[in-house]
Amino acid sequence: MLRKQRSWILTFDETVDAMAWERYCETHGLPGRLIPVPREITAGCGLAWKAPPEAEAALRAALAESAIAHAAARILEV
Amino acid sequence: MIQVNAIGDACPIPVVKTKNAIRDLGGPGTVETLVDNEIAVQNLQKMARQKGYAVTAETLGPDRFKVTMTVGEGGQAPAQDEPTACLVKPAGEKNTVVVIRSRTMGSDSEELGTALMKGFIYALTQQDQLPKTILFYNGGAYITCENSASLEDLKTLQAMGVEILTCGTCLNFYGITDKLQVGEVTNMYSIVEKMTQADLLVSP
Repeated sequence: MLRKQRSWILTFDETVDAMAWERYCETHGLPGRLIPVPREITAGCGLAWKAPPEAEAALRAALAESAIAHAAARILEV
Repeated sequence: MIQVNAIGDACPIPVVKTKNAIRDLGGPGTVETLVDNEIAVQNLQKMARQKGYAVTAETLGPDRFKVTMTVGEGGQAPAQDEPTACLVKPAGEKNTVVVIRSRTMGSDSEELGTALMKGFIYALTQQDQLPKTILFYNGGAYITCENSASLEDLKTLQAMGVEILTCGTCLNFYGITDKLQVGEVTNMYSIVEKMTQADLLVSP
């Protein structure tokens, strides 16, 4: 199993929002990737954005700019 | 009480050593076996249950476990020539083959299916037990080629020892033979062999 990395994890209530956020990040050259929501957050399903912790400020600014709905953000070892 | 050190021993050695110690007891008593992996613990517990010995397992630390077996009055010691098998196989020995047949996981929404497939391949990298081989054919061949969002994950899996094989006929059909970025090209004979020899086939 891969060694876990400290990551900034952004979760969404809606799958379509996660996918819209992925498109937004790709278009704007923002770091990170879509992953299944880590089990540490929920046993349920869903998609989350995983990015390096140092990208948090830029991504939070982009979130506000994009107005894409999201659930929560946290730092996690994944 | 006899203590058995089976640290660093692969199955079935911890079980063999423990059986020898139980014979050395010559009657009721306790044998403590120290091992360094969960599979050994499970094998010792299974052996104890089969023999009717009381058994407890304790985690002493990372990669350190103590399995304690108590042979009661009337408990039978294992026979000298009794065969000892690994009842629980180490995870790595299971031949799991993942088969990826298209660019999407499921049908209906292509956008959702693409996101799900990316998530599936990412989640593979997070498993304790990795597949031995991942086969890509038909539209799945695109996933091992240029511009695939899963290349990084597939290279990670390859670096961890997973064999990545893509159908050559499929690469040729889609005109992407020169775009392959990870793993090797394979043919139908090899695909059939991998699938028929697998302990478990997984297809998202």
